[in-house]
Amino acid sequence: MIYSIKQELYKLVHRKISWIAALILFFLMLITGFALADESKKLILTLTFDSSDFIMFILVIVGATCFSMEFQNNTILTLLYKSSNKVYVYLSKYIVLFIYDVFLHLLALFYTICLRYTLFNYQVNWSELYLYHQPVWLNMLTALLIDLVTTMLIIAIVFLLSCLINSNAVVITASLLVTLMGQSISSDLMNGGKLVGIMKWNPFNMVDLTRQYANYSMYALTTQLNNQELLVGSLVYIFIFVIAGYLIFRRKRF
Amino acid sequence: MKNINALQLDNVSTFVGKTVLVKNATFEVKPGEIIGLIGPNGAGKTTIMKTILGLMKFKGKVVVNGREVSENDHQALDKAGALIEHPAIYPFLTGKQNLTLYAHDQKDMVSLISDLQMSSYINNKAKGYSLGMKQKLGIAIALLNQPQIVILDEPMNGLDIESTIRVRKLIKRYSDQGTAFLISSHILSELQKVMTRVVLISRGQIILNKEVAEFEKISHQKYHLTTDNNKLAKKIFAAYQITFTANENYLIVSQKDIYKIQDLLFKEGIHLKEMLPLEANLEQIVVDILAEKRG
Repeated sequence: MIYSIKQELYKLVHRKISWIAALILFFLMLITGFALADESKKLILTLTFDSSDFIMFILVIVGATCFSMEFQNNTILTLLYKSSNKVYVYLSKYIVLFIYDVFLHLLALFYTICLRYTLFNYQVNWSELYLYHQPVWLNMLTALLIDLVTTMLIIAIVFLLSCLINSNAVVITASLLVTLMGQSISSDLMNGGKLVGIMKWNPFNMVDLTRQYANYSMYALTTQLNNQELLVGSLVYIFIFVIAGYLIFRRKRF
Repeated sequence: MKNINALQLDNVSTFVGKTVLVKNATFEVKPGEIIGLIGPNGAGKTTIMKTILGLMKFKGKVVVNGREVSENDHQALDKAGALIEHPAIYPFLTGKQNLTLYAHDQKDMVSLISDLQMSSYINNKAKGYSLGMKQKLGIAIALLNQPQIVILDEPMNGLDIESTIRVRKLIKRYSDQGTAFLISSHILSELQKVMTRVVLISRGQIILNKEVAEFEKISHQKYHLTTDNNKLAKKIFAAYQITFTANENYLIVSQKDIYKIQDLLFKEGIHLKEMLPLEANLEQIVVDILAEKRG
């Protein structure tokens, strides 16, 4: 397993997209800083210049190509026979994307601190109380940790779709649709009246976890779940989608 | 360890859904042996190779170096190397990085780069490689880490003459050191230069499994005939149920029918211009055997 993870890391480190994406993240955060000049500075810091959405897009693209490149280059056969079990191939990719996800979030934290003290020079005291009667710095760290869960849910969906659909473009489009339209799809599902109690647990609802943490009053009305419930729901769906994705991968013909 | 087969297939059948692609395949490969797996397109050569690598659903037993392989347990393959269908190469990595990804030992890697004369381009990104360069890199990946069994599907594809000779020498050297090979190729004359045993597959079934020396004997059991009226000769053979394969200019018949054929041709007034034992041409033998199987 460790050997498979090392191999995946080696590939990720040598892919240009991994590094270009890190640069793009910075520019998008910078643009957000200018665009949201009139918004609450504390909210901008809590959301690390809205990095969660950008990280999500990056992970969808990198995650979708994670499997498709193996099929395109015929390397999937070598990967499979060289690893002692198929599950290692699948899990190692998921773990490496998690590592990359952590890296992007740390990078977002670093960029935020740099931008806060240089270009934008916000007059915000880090220990000032903000959301949930907690200091801004804690809000920011909590939002980053929560976003790790949300993004891992998206990766689990991307992996599941990658094993179901061979077209890379379709996987990216479908994953972005889940990310961008998850909220409205979820609202439609919950229009059923009596079934709201069950339908509020649909997976599309879970992708709003980070947004709800930063803007509880607005999102809790839509999701009808509190933060803890969304967190537990997300973790359960991560587990379900990873298992389902692996079972499809296992049955796939190579 | 020497008594353990590098590879053993016992009644292996491979499926895709309900379709059987390979039926009851049984053969073994001893350490140092070079097996030529030959057969027409779609016969099941690549399927057998994928099955050995645990990449297909199968029934029966695949044992590599004394350990069983299953679809979800590839531990037995830790000393196996393979090149299946196309070279498995990441285009965004250099040739050297592609090798580093799998290499346990740098020395081994350096030696393969030198043996296959890849030094001039090994540090370039693989996306710019020609088909032959990719093929050599794919072969090098298969030969990394001193494997005990190597499976090569059409290894000479895209290689120039010099590289072909180099690969052939490398295969022989590894085989002398005890590495077993299972090689499929359409260039039978090339395969004939290295292999020690032939496994012939047709329509998913193994129809012949013989040492090359034995295989050559088969050819001498066949005769090559030319008459002054081949068209009439064919009609007579068919009428008397004599098995033959025909070309525009000659007929190939079995040694056991020779006396009967001579009698018949004499009676019908057909002049026998030439009658020679068939030379050990692998391609012809394969064509004949397959034609016979098809009836």
